[in-house]
Amino acid sequence: MNKPKVAIFDFAGCEGCQLQIVNMEEEILDLISIVRLVEWREGMSEQSEEYDVAIIEGSITRPQDEEKLRQIRERAKILVALGACATDGGVNKMKNRFDLQEVKQLVYGADSALPHLDSAPTKAVDEIVQVDHKIYGCPIDRREFATVVRSLILGKRPEIPNYPVCVECKRRENVCRYEYQEICLGPITRAGCDARCPSFGAWCFGCRGPVDEPNAQAARVIMERYGKRAEDLEDRMQLFGHK
Amino acid sequence: MSARKLNQEVFRSWVNELIARRRVVGVQAKEERFVFGPLAKAEDLRLDYDVTLLPPKKYFLPPRDDLLAFTTQGEYASRIEDEPFILFGVHPYDVVAISQLDAVFSEGHYDVHYMTRRRNATIVACDVQTASAHVFASAMNTATVQDGFDLLLTKIGDHYLADARTDKGEALLTAVPGGSEPTEADFAGREQVWRRNRESLNKHELKCRPEELPTLLENSYDDPIWEERAKLCFSCGSCNLVCPTCYCFDVRDDLNWDMQTGMRTRVCDACLLNEFSAVAGGHNFRSRPAERYRHRFYRKGSYMPHKFGFVACVGCGRCISACVAGIANPLDIYNRLIAKSPEIQAPEPAASPWAGSAKELREGGGDGRSLEMAARSGGALSPGTGLAREAPPLPEGTHSEGVQASRTIAQLEAALPQEGFLLPGAALAPEGVPSEDIYVPQAATLVQAKPLTELETFYEIRLDSGLELGHEPGQFVEISLPGFGEAPISVSSSPSQAGTFQMVVRNAGNLTNALGQLTAGDRIGVRGPFGSEFPVHDVMKGKDILLICGGIGLVPVRSAINYILDNREDYGHMTILYGAKTPGERIFADEQQDWRKRDRVTVLETVDEPDASWHGHVGRITALLPLIRIVPENTIAVVCGPPVMYRFVLKELKTMGLADTSIYLSLERRMKCGVGKCGHCQMNGVYVCQEGPVFQYSAIREVMEAI
Repeated sequence: MNKPKVAIFDFAGCEGCQLQIVNMEEEILDLISIVRLVEWREGMSEQSEEYDVAIIEGSITRPQDEEKLRQIRERAKILVALGACATDGGVNKMKNRFDLQEVKQLVYGADSALPHLDSAPTKAVDEIVQVDHKIYGCPIDRREFATVVRSLILGKRPEIPNYPVCVECKRRENVCRYEYQEICLGPITRAGCDARCPSFGAWCFGCRGPVDEPNAQAARVIMERYGKRAEDLEDRMQLFGHK
Repeated sequence: MSARKLNQEVFRSWVNELIARRRVVGVQAKEERFVFGPLAKAEDLRLDYDVTLLPPKKYFLPPRDDLLAFTTQGEYASRIEDEPFILFGVHPYDVVAISQLDAVFSEGHYDVHYMTRRRNATIVACDVQTASAHVFASAMNTATVQDGFDLLLTKIGDHYLADARTDKGEALLTAVPGGSEPTEADFAGREQVWRRNRESLNKHELKCRPEELPTLLENSYDDPIWEERAKLCFSCGSCNLVCPTCYCFDVRDDLNWDMQTGMRTRVCDACLLNEFSAVAGGHNFRSRPAERYRHRFYRKGSYMPHKFGFVACVGCGRCISACVAGIANPLDIYNRLIAKSPEIQAPEPAASPWAGSAKELREGGGDGRSLEMAARSGGALSPGTGLAREAPPLPEGTHSEGVQASRTIAQLEAALPQEGFLLPGAALAPEGVPSEDIYVPQAATLVQAKPLTELETFYEIRLDSGLELGHEPGQFVEISLPGFGEAPISVSSSPSQAGTFQMVVRNAGNLTNALGQLTAGDRIGVRGPFGSEFPVHDVMKGKDILLICGGIGLVPVRSAINYILDNREDYGHMTILYGAKTPGERIFADEQQDWRKRDRVTVLETVDEPDASWHGHVGRITALLPLIRIVPENTIAVVCGPPVMYRFVLKELKTMGLADTSIYLSLERRMKCGVGKCGHCQMNGVYVCQEGPVFQYSAIREVMEAI
């Protein structure tokens, strides 16, 4: 089998999604039995400028990163956005709600003017280049990553769910978080994580972003039903850069 | 059959003995709620439960159900779970629901996956001890049950009355000594429990008899309530997924890391989900939330009653608890509609089952919703104002007691060898019970694959068995590629062509893209043929034939064209009208030339967007109709094309004087399983994969979602 060359690049993010790939452990052997990893800073020391598939982790927060991303896009046949920062901007996108100078001052203090700390409003990868496939989540789901890779090698468009997390919660027979008086973003958030958080007793944080047609208006309206405020819901949604 | 009275101690040792001998699934606590799960010891059993989060159907139709193992070489091996188990503590409403699913999965194409699990189950029913917050079994006549299970437990005071109703139940009951002979007083005590439950499982009230629901829904299709309520709908499918009578599923292929083996799995699906009715080309036949929302209530109260003879709601109340937005309560909807329908009569006070006191029953724990989700009153409906009327005509069988369904199971049981419950695994295919797996494709080989246009490819296929496909013009097959799944594809060749069959596939989704990469000699899987056909053997004989096709609508119709040409003397004049978007998208252009040369054949073509090479007609296909002359009484028309085309063509045909009975339509839907189970192809109550894809127009004129 002529194995496709895959490169994994990281931009602004916590590297937790790459870590999920590392956490595949012995399955990494399966992974490299079907792809040739040619660059992956977190997993190997080699680098390459030749690859078929580029996997991008992280959001884009510096002008010079936009250039690097465009270059990657030109070289890659397929570009995959990996994780919430890459697909939606993620937690990094929160800074866009504030004055940039103020944020820099707050984070870097006296060093905020140093050139390598130059920062621009956060962008998701598809705000700069065309993205062929998105692997959602903060962090990504390892099984979904594996399924997407296998699908791409097979030549099949990965089937990423476009229905809410509630579907997977029901399939797993979880007790609804709303029964615990919690605000859960499950009803408007894209499934695919197998309802991970609710299955471990937490509400859905919405890390995979909304489904294509979320009924956000209904979500606000039903807050009242549970004695919550719509603002509480909006705060939750903004965590991963959504409105 | 016998009955025994078991005290707590005997009961516990009996349950523990069953656990020691066989896989037992029973009701247990999960956080503040209850679930069915593998039972480790009798002490974990919670027969005082109010309702489980998921119904016990998950043991017959698991949320993930591996159907087939496959290899990329095109080998398929059916995966049948064949292990006897005891399902312990099923409430009567869930017993009724299981009986309904039995009817669905045993009728027509027999689903060996579901039915094997079902035959392997010994169902221990248990009368309700604690009413849940939203149960309305009283209203649906499902508070007690007399069949559909093997053994019934009723708690009377400190004892259980265990009553075996089948051989399987009897084997269970006599497995362990102990207990005593029940007395008349014990049976009288059970009568009292039944009476109490019939009255008090009544947290919501239905202001008509369940069997009146189909009539109620006849005139409610355009009611504003659907739009109004659906504004709050998340399209999350929770109402479907927790429903004991919902059974729709999707099918997915997953490859293993070796990239050569994999699994075809069905997963529970939900008609409320956005893309449930979307086809590969992108059209979504139920794209609006209100349409999906309405579909569920119609399915429960109208479509299923008409198809199977029962109302597909058993009053468990799970949807009410599961709906975060509080819009899933069927009785809330039905009562609102009843308030607007003076012809629906309130139930006779004497027959009213919800007058009893709920105080006798302990309040169910767990449903900690912050708001009262009780059904709002559907408006005052004073008794006596409605007109007395008969229950709507329903097919044979009762509406909700599942008699019809359980009879099916009983017939199956009769065919089984008398299996003692201690024997290992039930025989997979006892005499008289189908063993064939309807989901396994047969192997076939591409004889020819050639591009027809930029988007479409033409295929000629031979079954590896050497047998003929045996289709009729208009039917379809499910084409299977390991790893990619299946897609419904129309057969395009005439049955008179021996040895092979043909099809044309538009590159529209994962499977069809992959199909586009194949060449002669490659193998594919085929299931079918499925569905209805153009009436070439009867109705069309001796008649003039008018065929109106848009785009790839010509693909299935070509099967009829070539059949008619092969039997030319049986039919009158044949007129073929064909419209394509651009000259480059025309299919079978060469063949059209041949058709034109045949006796009594007219072919007219048009394109929407001409280019320099095009010298023919320009415009929509309806523009061709004024150019032809037909004798309406002697003409049969066939229409097949993109969804938007039908309405306009039908209007023109009407002005030309053609009767609705003389028009046949071939419709596209998401026919995922092809065997009337998965639910994706439904137009209202009609399964297109079974009753279609070819319909006489007069038969579906009233089917709102058809055109």
